[in-house]
Amino acid sequence: MSQEQKLLVVKDLATTFHTPSGPLAAVGGVSFDLNQNETLGIVGESGAGKTVLLRTIMGLQPRTNVDVSGSVLLDGFEVVGASEKAKRSIWGLEVAMVFQDPMTSLNPVMRIGKQIDEILRVRLGMDRRAAKARALELLELVGIPSPAVRYNVFPGELSGGMRQRVVIATALAGSPKLLMADEPTTGLDVTIQAQILNLLEELKEQMKMSVVLVTHDLGVVATRTSQIIVMYAGRIVEMGSTREVFAHHRMPYTRALLEGSPKVSNPSHTRLLAIPGRPPNLLNLPKGCSFAPRCSFATDRCRQERPELENANAPGHTFACWNPLPVTQSVSA
Amino acid sequence: MSDTTQPLLKVRDLTVTFGSHRRKLSAVAGVSFDIFEGETLGLVGESGCGKSTTGKALMRIVEPSGGTIEIEGIELTTKNGKDLRNLRTRMQMIFQDPISSLNPRRRVKDIVAEPLDCWKTVEGAEREALVNDLLSKVGIDPVAHGNRYARQFSGGQCQRISIARSLAMRPKLLICDEMVSALDVSVQAQILNLLEDLKAEYGLTLLFIAHDLAVVKNVSDRVAVMYLGKICEIGPSDTLYESPEHPYTKFLLGAALEADPDSPIHGDVLSGEPPSPLNPPSGCRFRTRCPNATEKCALEEPQLVEIATGHQVACHYPLSTLARK
Repeated sequence: MSQEQKLLVVKDLATTFHTPSGPLAAVGGVSFDLNQNETLGIVGESGAGKTVLLRTIMGLQPRTNVDVSGSVLLDGFEVVGASEKAKRSIWGLEVAMVFQDPMTSLNPVMRIGKQIDEILRVRLGMDRRAAKARALELLELVGIPSPAVRYNVFPGELSGGMRQRVVIATALAGSPKLLMADEPTTGLDVTIQAQILNLLEELKEQMKMSVVLVTHDLGVVATRTSQIIVMYAGRIVEMGSTREVFAHHRMPYTRALLEGSPKVSNPSHTRLLAIPGRPPNLLNLPKGCSFAPRCSFATDRCRQERPELENANAPGHTFACWNPLPVTQSVSA
Repeated sequence: MSDTTQPLLKVRDLTVTFGSHRRKLSAVAGVSFDIFEGETLGLVGESGCGKSTTGKALMRIVEPSGGTIEIEGIELTTKNGKDLRNLRTRMQMIFQDPISSLNPRRRVKDIVAEPLDCWKTVEGAEREALVNDLLSKVGIDPVAHGNRYARQFSGGQCQRISIARSLAMRPKLLICDEMVSALDVSVQAQILNLLEDLKAEYGLTLLFIAHDLAVVKNVSDRVAVMYLGKICEIGPSDTLYESPEHPYTKFLLGAALEADPDSPIHGDVLSGEPPSPLNPPSGCRFRTRCPNATEKCALEEPQLVEIATGHQVACHYPLSTLARK
């Protein structure tokens, strides 16, 4: 693993928003790295800080009322503290993002072809003709039928799945090394979701990209990622290879996520593992482990001292818990 | 579920058409099913297939354009005014968006008491006691939180309040329209478990409408799959999930992702998108995306046919017969 070049190194990254009600630690000290040509899944419930983490890695946080500390090294470029101009030089070319809502991430009054052209002409300095030819290629690449016709339509004339394909085409226009996808399939139907996930996987292989896939759906990460990060209240609570985390998770929250979601392979009326309560308010985080108030294994130590990530048995598998589940614990299939 | 028992809800050839005569959209194009007392029928399908419209038409929130709906043997489509309102107390609906389905300007205990106030079934201390009981049943502390407004609650808690309100009139049938799809995994598990408990306690019969196949399987005894306004397959949930007969059901199940890294990625992904209901294909509505479609499928519309006990499929070439050839 060490021979492989690290594409992304994130160290102690913290994002704090200054709100009228006080500082809000949306991301509270996150470290991880990502190899080339690897797919990383980030899972967690809403409010866990997944999207803010992604935006901070991109350098897309608002200009005011926010503090970012730590470091994000993206292929040797330090994103934290970089000027807008410097960041603009990596957006689209080194790193690109696919946002959750394909309805709002496209300009509704601009033909889709022009939206792809724009990136090619502004970023890559192509002339009009070359840009159009490349845009048509990209539309074809993401599986839009009859690209020459679709080049001239407005986003409103396309379905959600088609729009998401267009968004992916715009993201790929600059051949980025890292593609960040923030809930790319959340608003889509299952059959369309399967199409988009297959497309992302093919494109990743074809263009030798790394992909960060943020989702709340464990089914999406299970089969499509090699590494996985579980986030809770702005922090990483467990990470490792996807297979390892699914089979030998140690953190009770990971278990709650895995066993709380209904499975197609389980018989009807299977009782779900439901944990009480809901994610904590980020304005007012508990002193110790953020999960302690909902955890059935919590002790006084959990409520007082925050656990740091420590190594589990398998290499690369770490978890943050004072009272981890026993090693033999495996997913009830 | 034997033939002798009378179904609680009997729906026959239900159609709902929107729009004028020039642009007619059949959101529900002839749907028939029964729900028996005490069971849960799951209704799955992709967006735009008409599953929510079906649910709303049963309550006559949208007017059905044809067909019959019988609840406990009483025809609902011909009733109006007071009779209809009376019948509606036997069925209640829970909607997808937990926050917008509660009145933002009323206190939670008044929201829950509203059906009681409309019908003046109980008053005074008795009303208060009933509301408190309902709220505590769904896990909301009536003393500490009963006077709060909907905005002071999270999505999961709002959905609990919706459930309490729907149970106030002691309905027989509960129609749940995507009731957990806006919730996070850990909260979703709480609500699904709560629903199972309340179903047993109140002797409820459920129509559970959702797009998530795993969630539907978890709560349902029987499942109906809809595509473009029609039911293409209906059967006991375990059978239907294990050996689907309609090609669409098979694709839908293949696309459902299992949270298990060792589960195989199904090679067959359904291509294309559902056709517009404004202009549905002739014959079988799925034929434009079906790999097994023949000329017969374009000419003749397949009807729901029973192929095993309680298992019906609308396909000229059910998968088990294809496999045998």
